Amino acid sequence: MVDLSLNWDMTEKFIENFIEEETKSNGFKHVILGISGGIDSAVVAKLAVKALGKENVFGSILPYKLSSKESLEDGLLVQKELGIYTETIEITEMADAYISKINTDDKVRIGNLLARIRMSIIFDKAREFDAIVLGTSNKSEIMLGYTTWYGDMACGMYPIGDLYKTQVFKLAEHIGVPKKIIDKKPSADLWPGQTDEDELGCPYSIIDQILYLFLEERMTAEEIVSYGFEKDKVTKLLKRLFSTQFKRTFPPVCKISQRTFGHDFLYPHDLFK
Amino acid sequence: MKFKISLAQINPKLGSIEENLAKHIEFTNRAIAQDSKVVVFPELSITGYLLRDLSFDVAFPYNSQFFEPLKTLSKEIDIILGFVEKGEDKIIYNSSMYLSKGEVKSVYRKMFPPTHGMFEELRFFGRGKDFIKIETDYGNATVIICRDFFHPTLLSLAYANNIDFVFAISNMPLRGLKGDTPQIQTTVETASSTYTNFFSFFVVYVNRVGFEDGLGFYGGSFIQSPLGKKIVQAPLFEETLVSETVDTEDIYKKRTVFPLIREEDFSNLLRNLKNIVEEK
Repeated sequence: MVDLSLNWDMTEKFIENFIEEETKSNGFKHVILGISGGIDSAVVAKLAVKALGKENVFGSILPYKLSSKESLEDGLLVQKELGIYTETIEITEMADAYISKINTDDKVRIGNLLARIRMSIIFDKAREFDAIVLGTSNKSEIMLGYTTWYGDMACGMYPIGDLYKTQVFKLAEHIGVPKKIIDKKPSADLWPGQTDEDELGCPYSIIDQILYLFLEERMTAEEIVSYGFEKDKVTKLLKRLFSTQFKRTFPPVCKISQRTFGHDFLYPHDLFK
Repeated sequence: MKFKISLAQINPKLGSIEENLAKHIEFTNRAIAQDSKVVVFPELSITGYLLRDLSFDVAFPYNSQFFEPLKTLSKEIDIILGFVEKGEDKIIYNSSMYLSKGEVKSVYRKMFPPTHGMFEELRFFGRGKDFIKIETDYGNATVIICRDFFHPTLLSLAYANNIDFVFAISNMPLRGLKGDTPQIQTTVETASSTYTNFFSFFVVYVNRVGFEDGLGFYGGSFIQSPLGKKIVQAPLFEETLVSETVDTEDIYKKRTVFPLIREEDFSNLLRNLKNIVEEK
C-alpha cells in the first residue's frame, strides 16, 4: 500500500491560508461554491468557512429531477452544519427546455449540459454576491479528466486541486465533515445510480496509488506494474491521464503578433495582489 | 561579541513596491526598537517572487533614490533585503543588498537561479558570478539567495573565506506535507545543520510567507549556531519579526573542539579542482 498520508493539521491550515490570501489577492471578500452533497464540496465549504467566516461563504444547491434525494439532503446538511447562506435552485425546467428539443439518450451529453448549466448559475450568483468561485475538483478527477470542461472545472481557484480523492476523505474526517457524507460512494450524480468508481473502472484507493507512483515517484508504467498493480488498469488510467491533458492547459492561441497571451505575455495570475 | 539579529519574515505584495518599501521601513523600525544590529528580509522582499514579465517593471539600479529611506535607516541598523537589480550591464538580476551606515555596502547577484519544474528564473534574470565577503563590525558575512543554499560549492567559498555569518535569504515554496514538518523545510534544515557543523559559521535563514499564484511560502526562518543549536525559529506561515542574540564566541568554541578549518589546504584544493575542471 502506497502511503498517501499527509500532516492533516498542516494541510488544513495551509489550504485555509491559501483560500484567504487568494480571495483577497483576486480582489474579493466573498466566495461562492456549488454544494452537491458530496464530499469535495463539503470539505471546500468547511475550509472556506474556517478561512473567511461563515458570513463570507455562499452556497448554491442545484438539483435536477434525476438527482438523488440523498444529494439534496446532504447538501442541506452541509448548509445547516456550517450556517452559510445557501440558495437552492432546481435546474430541471431550464435543462429540460433544451433536452426536450435535442432527442438524445447520450448520458454524457446530458451530464455535461447539467454541469455547464450549474456553472452558469454559480457564476451568475458570483456576480450577484460579488464573490469568487471556489472549485471543488480534486487531483484524482482533474488528472484523469473526470470532470466537465468549463463545467464543474470552472472556478477562480482550486483549494483541493492537489489532493487525491483518498486524501480528501482523510481531510474530511480530520476537519469533521458529517460522517454520512464521508461514508457514501463518490458520484457525480449526473444520472441515477452513477458512481465514479464504476465509470472509472477502478476504486479510488487503487487509482490514487497508481497516480501517486506515476506523478510523485515518477515511476514508469512498467515499474508501477511490477510494483503490483494490474497492467490493464495502469495502461487505461495513464491513457486517460494523457488524453485529457487539453482540460488542464490553456487552449492553443494562433500566434501572429509580437506578444501574445498564452505564449509570451507572461504576467502572473496574482498581478493585482 | 554578543549582538541581536532580527528576522523579518514578511509577506510582500507581488509587484507593489511602494507598499513593500513601507513594510520594510515598519519592520526595520521595529528591529531598531528591539536593539538589533542587523535586520534580514527575504529574497525579492521589495517586489515579491513570481514576477515573470513584471520583473522588468520593478527593477532598480542598486543606487536608485528608491532606497533612500532605507539608506537613512541603515545609519541605525544594518539591513539586508532582496530586490530586482537593473544591472549596469543592461541585465536584470535577482539580487540582495546590504545597507550599513547610510550606504549600500554590498550587492550580491543570485548565482544559481533555478530553472526547472515550477522555477523559471533564468528566463527573466541573469546569473550572478561573484561570491561576496562583507566586512562588518561583528565579523565577516556573506549573503546568498535561496537555491544558492543547496550548492555546497558556494558555501565552501564562505568556508574558505573565513565567513562568520551566512545570511541565506529565501522564497522557498512549500512542497511535501507528509510528516511533522514540510519536506522542503527538512531539506533546508538538514543542509543548515551540515553547513554549521562542518563549516562552523552561523546560518541566518530568512524565508518569506504568503501565496503567489498558488505557491505557498512556508516561513520557518531561523538562526543556527556553529554549535548546532537553533538560536531562534520563526513559526510557519505567519508574517512576523523575531529577534535573538547571537554570540560570535560560538565560532571559536566550535573551531576549538572541531578544528577542521585548521586542517584545510585550499591551495591543494585549488590544484585538484583545476585538474578536475580542465580534464572535463
